[in-house]
Amino acid sequence: MNLNPDQIKAAIRAKVIELAKALDMDASGVTDDDILPATGLLDSGAILELVVWFEASYDFRIKQEDMNIDNLGSINAMTNFLLSSKPA
Amino acid sequence: MPTFQTVPCVNINDEFVDVVSIDVKQGEFVNSGDVVATVETDKSMIDVAAEQDGYVLRVDCEPGQKIRVGAVMFWLGATSDEAIPEETKNTSSPVNAVRQPTAKARAMLKELDIDPARVPASGERLSVADIETWLSKGGKPGKAAVSTQTAIRREDTPSVAGDLQELSPEAAGMLHTVAWHRDFAASAYLEVEYDPKPWEERAAAYAAEHKLMLSPLLPLIAFRLAELGRERPLINSTIVNGQRFQYTPVNIGFTVQAGAMLYLTVVRDTQDMDAAQFISALGEVQRHAMAHKLPPQEATGATLSFSSMARWNVSRHTPILPPQTSLIIAHAAPKNSDKAVLGATYDHRVLTGFDVAQVLLALSRPA
Repeated sequence: MNLNPDQIKAAIRAKVIELAKALDMDASGVTDDDILPATGLLDSGAILELVVWFEASYDFRIKQEDMNIDNLGSINAMTNFLLSSKPA
Repeated sequence: MPTFQTVPCVNINDEFVDVVSIDVKQGEFVNSGDVVATVETDKSMIDVAAEQDGYVLRVDCEPGQKIRVGAVMFWLGATSDEAIPEETKNTSSPVNAVRQPTAKARAMLKELDIDPARVPASGERLSVADIETWLSKGGKPGKAAVSTQTAIRREDTPSVAGDLQELSPEAAGMLHTVAWHRDFAASAYLEVEYDPKPWEERAAAYAAEHKLMLSPLLPLIAFRLAELGRERPLINSTIVNGQRFQYTPVNIGFTVQAGAMLYLTVVRDTQDMDAAQFISALGEVQRHAMAHKLPPQEATGATLSFSSMARWNVSRHTPILPPQTSLIIAHAAPKNSDKAVLGATYDHRVLTGFDVAQVLLALSRPA
């Protein structure tokens, strides 16, 4: 599995854009530091889909207590959380 | 080997027919299709045709006799001197003449609460095909089946070309839910408009305090519903066979749309939870639903339910009651509107409109 940070961020960004598009939103301008729930681009259902996709794509499990802004709030946070959860 | 022919069903609701005439005699050869007798009920008269070629070995009824549908009328043999099996002699009693069902037919008769004497058999044993033929002609299951197995009622296959396909477990579950709603609940619906701001402010504050990824708005409203389930036990009950069944736990059903699939996820035993525990438990089952990995305990056992279509900008919806529940809340919050809607589908056997209006008003603002 490729755990290159830039590739992880690109994959997350592509998924965010895809999920936003399904809600008639344009997320092409989202930055790596944007707090995703605060952007209004994704609703709770879409964020849930993003998290489930994230777990499945990188084959790891996020505990319910880790489902917070600090760990998963932005593309950068998600990438860092994944890398810290899956040591090389 | 001798075979027998039974009294046909003339009208579905008539268990007995009158023998008008017998048109054959013992020893006579008949061809398949020959009229061998005439029978009638109050409503109609029909000719009975031989179902196969053969010599008439014995006639077991006579003109003027009232005889039960399914009873033996006469025996046919390949030769005129064939012996009728010993154990079947003297079986002219209509009750004894009912043909033995096969094992599968017996199970189907039991399931549908059908008296086998009402179903004409086409062969030596009463078969599933015989029962299905009888049902397709309008035969009706018994009362026990009607009250407990309504989803099993038979329908005609469409005349347009196509093929029957098995339902997925989820689709079968939806069918069961809709059938229960249709057949058992006395469903009604009412709704209230409300100002969504107090709930939105409460949810925003809660999300900021707990650094939540997902908006807790709907979980908080659902948790308030769980609290109301404790405070007002009537909404957490159902009717079973004319008696109220009061649930002990408050198990909250919460709809989750996962792709094309709609799940009713279930958080059990919410009476023992605080808001944080409920939101965490609901988040867990929502993730399981999104991944299509919902274990049975998280997909069954709802006693009180909540459904929102706010995500789809729906202005109102009237949800189907989950089986054996009396209330499901419907939430809608159209975009660009300063009003949101809380509706409720409820079982009028359990709840009145007043009861439900009180619940909706209590739900429309944070406690």
